[in-house]
Amino acid sequence: MFGKSTIKERKQFYREEWNLKDLPDFITDELPRREFGFDHYGRGPNDRYKVFKNQDILRRFLKSKSPFAAYISIAYYRNPRAREDWQKAEYVFDVDAKDLPIRSCDCDEGEVCAQCLAESLEIVNNLIDTLDGDLGLKNIHLIYSGRGYHIRILDEDMMLADSDLRGEVLKYVAGATVPKSIYPNPDPSMVASNFNFQHFTLPLAYHQIFTDRVKYNIQHLKGTEKIDGINPKLLKDIIKFRHLLDDDAWGLFKGNIGPRRYNNIVSAMANVNLATIDAKVSIDIKRILRLPSSLHSKVSMKCVEVKDRENFDPLKYAVPKFVDERKDEEITENK
Amino acid sequence: MVESSFLNPFCDEALSIVRNQADLSTVFDIDSRLVDIISFSPHQNLSDESYIPENIINLALKRIKWFIERKNNKEYNSHDYAYFFVEDITPYDVIAFHLSAQAIANKFNFNSREMRLFIQAQGQIIEDRLGSLMLSEKRELTDDVLGELMVSGTVEWTFLKDIISSKKLSLTDLVIDNGEVILDRDEFIYRFEDKFDDRSASKMYDVLVGDNVKEEVLKNLIMQKTEEYIQNIQEKSQLIEAHPSILTLADEIEKTIDEEMTKYSTFYANLNNPGGYMEIGKLVKEAFPPCIKSTVEGVSSGGRNDAIVLFLTSFASYARLYPGIFANEGAGIKVSDIDKNLDITEREILPLIFEAADNCTPPLFEDQPQEKINIISKLGFGMHSELSLDHEGETKWYTPMSCEKVKIHLPQLCKKDKGCKGINNPLSYYTRAKWNLKNEGKLPDSTQSESNSNSDGRD
Ligand code: SF4
Ligand SMILES: [Zn+2]
Repeated sequence: MFGKSTIKERKQFYREEWNLKDLPDFITDELPRREFGFDHYGRGPNDRYKVFKNQDILRRFLKSKSPFAAYISIAYYRNPRAREDWQKAEYVFDVDAKDLPIRSCDCDEGEVCAQCLAESLEIVNNLIDTLDGDLGLKNIHLIYSGRGYHIRILDEDMMLADSDLRGEVLKYVAGATVPKSIYPNPDPSMVASNFNFQHFTLPLAYHQIFTDRVKYNIQHLKGTEKIDGINPKLLKDIIKFRHLLDDDAWGLFKGNIGPRRYNNIVSAMANVNLATIDAKVSIDIKRILRLPSSLHSKVSMKCVEVKDRENFDPLKYAVPKFVDERKDEEITENK
Repeated sequence: MVESSFLNPFCDEALSIVRNQADLSTVFDIDSRLVDIISFSPHQNLSDESYIPENIINLALKRIKWFIERKNNKEYNSHDYAYFFVEDITPYDVIAFHLSAQAIANKFNFNSREMRLFIQAQGQIIEDRLGSLMLSEKRELTDDVLGELMVSGTVEWTFLKDIISSKKLSLTDLVIDNGEVILDRDEFIYRFEDKFDDRSASKMYDVLVGDNVKEEVLKNLIMQKTEEYIQNIQEKSQLIEAHPSILTLADEIEKTIDEEMTKYSTFYANLNNPGGYMEIGKLVKEAFPPCIKSTVEGVSSGGRNDAIVLFLTSFASYARLYPGIFANEGAGIKVSDIDKNLDITEREILPLIFEAADNCTPPLFEDQPQEKINIISKLGFGMHSELSLDHEGETKWYTPMSCEKVKIHLPQLCKKDKGCKGINNPLSYYTRAKWNLKNEGKLPDSTQSESNSNSDGRD
């Protein structure tokens, strides 16, 4: 958003602004069991397998190196230096504003702006509501990554989960599966007549989650998206009738679209929901993620833990001082 | 009232049966009471003595035979095994269950084909027994057994995580609220009554949760318990010598499984079998799906490791040795079940994988030689640098990745073409394409089925 940071700015940031206290507790708690990775020159994190015995050594390292980017493993190892003896790993949802399949701003590919960042926040808030309210997961942290958000979950059950379980939970939380609609008739004398329930007629459990996600997507469509399974004519009609969803008049909406085309929407939306999150990250048990408190030098923003997830504003909490000073300079120059 | 040991071989009552009535020195003796129970089972086929297991050991073997027949035999007749579904069989069946578990734990590895088969058989027996009960009996018994398993109105979904992870139950099909899966009618009504204005919550419970979910949970929990039970015995078996009867039973189980599987396995191609085109034979590159074609040509640094170690290794080995895996689920299998002395694996499969690894940029083993070990381990031969039968079973033979998985892990490889329509696994793409080539007469002779030369690889 604010362009690349210069070496001088990086140095200034780590020397004057960065503070040990900005590292969240969930990071410092078991620091020596994590692997760190650094990108010193902006060419990818190739300084890996680093371990810090305590916060002080980490502090000195960051202050002296001012890395372009700093990462920490989501995994805990008995031997992190060799990435050996994996013990457990955080469960992560990565939502990147620049990769949202649906966003209502006018950003070019690869760009982000305040609006799509705000939409990312809304999306992660919805995800957290499900993770916490529906699935009852504990110990959920939200991190602003510089261009999007990381939900980092340290729930004991999920930390021990394998990739398969992580994938199943991901599909549930994201709304990436078309909800079951055909149910056998429980009346033994009526076995031949199955019930068919549209997702929006069942206001509970997964059906509700899916309905909420689809509603969100439809309300944020711009009309220029290219979505597999939705042709331009259908897209136009969705936008034409979407006001009906303001009052949750799904039946009318579906009636206007037509049942066959409505089914297309449902399966396309399941895919959109999956693409909203970087699924690769969620099922990975050994990934490294940007270190909270560190500088995202490509965009000159801080990666920070979000304390108040309803009202967080990255422009308020994640802009390093040197960016403001740049503006001051511009202002003085323009005088 | 039906006793819960009819479904749950781990309940107190079942355990006391084992304690008081199991006598390892007499398990091979004819038991006339058992024979009576079987002979008087309603609808039991008695046309031949072979239908009647006359001692506990035979009953244990019949359980396995029943399961394989039920799954695979198109002419399976439930009257051949009617006795498994009368309550009087319970004490005998409970003992047979525990003896088999001991035998399997002693002779076979964790997660071996034999172990998985036994566990699945237990799940199927529970399912079929539930189906044989009257509705009211069934409901009462289900609640009783779930109670024994510490499950009542609700259960935390994480309690079912193994079942969910293995996709036996889908999270999205469960009614979850606040971390809890709703199983009970009252609980459902209490939580959701006001969600339905024009329908009765009680009726919705019947449709959305009903008996089905509870029964699935019950069945899967017992299967899970069986797995843990076997694992437990395995951990102790180094210390305790097994009784000779147990060891004999283990040998008999192996023999029974081998015989039965030979009858039904798809890799012994059988032209009358609709799955017959899934016969084994040399790999046909022309039939590879786009994702495999590009992997074989080499992958650039991004997804290199997964593409070779997970994706290609599993694809190539199953495509070559056991393309019928998905048609034949339930038949757990090891590489050496088909490639007895590992010749094919050494000469055809590994070279293909290693060549693809070499085609990567940079060549995979150049900077990551340890990936060779990972490839061996994905074939089921443990973390070693060489294939060796001694280590087989230390790791699992990794099953081929589905298209969904490819799209998540290795999206750059999936370049759909028209053959991808309607398939959900690259292996199915392959078997179908191969079948088409064969019908068009384009399959070179050397790649035809080798089922005959191979069937003597097994005794
Ligand atoms: S659809 Fe499946 S088989 Fe086809 S290229 Fe993609 S992953 Fe391969
Ligand atoms: Zn934007």
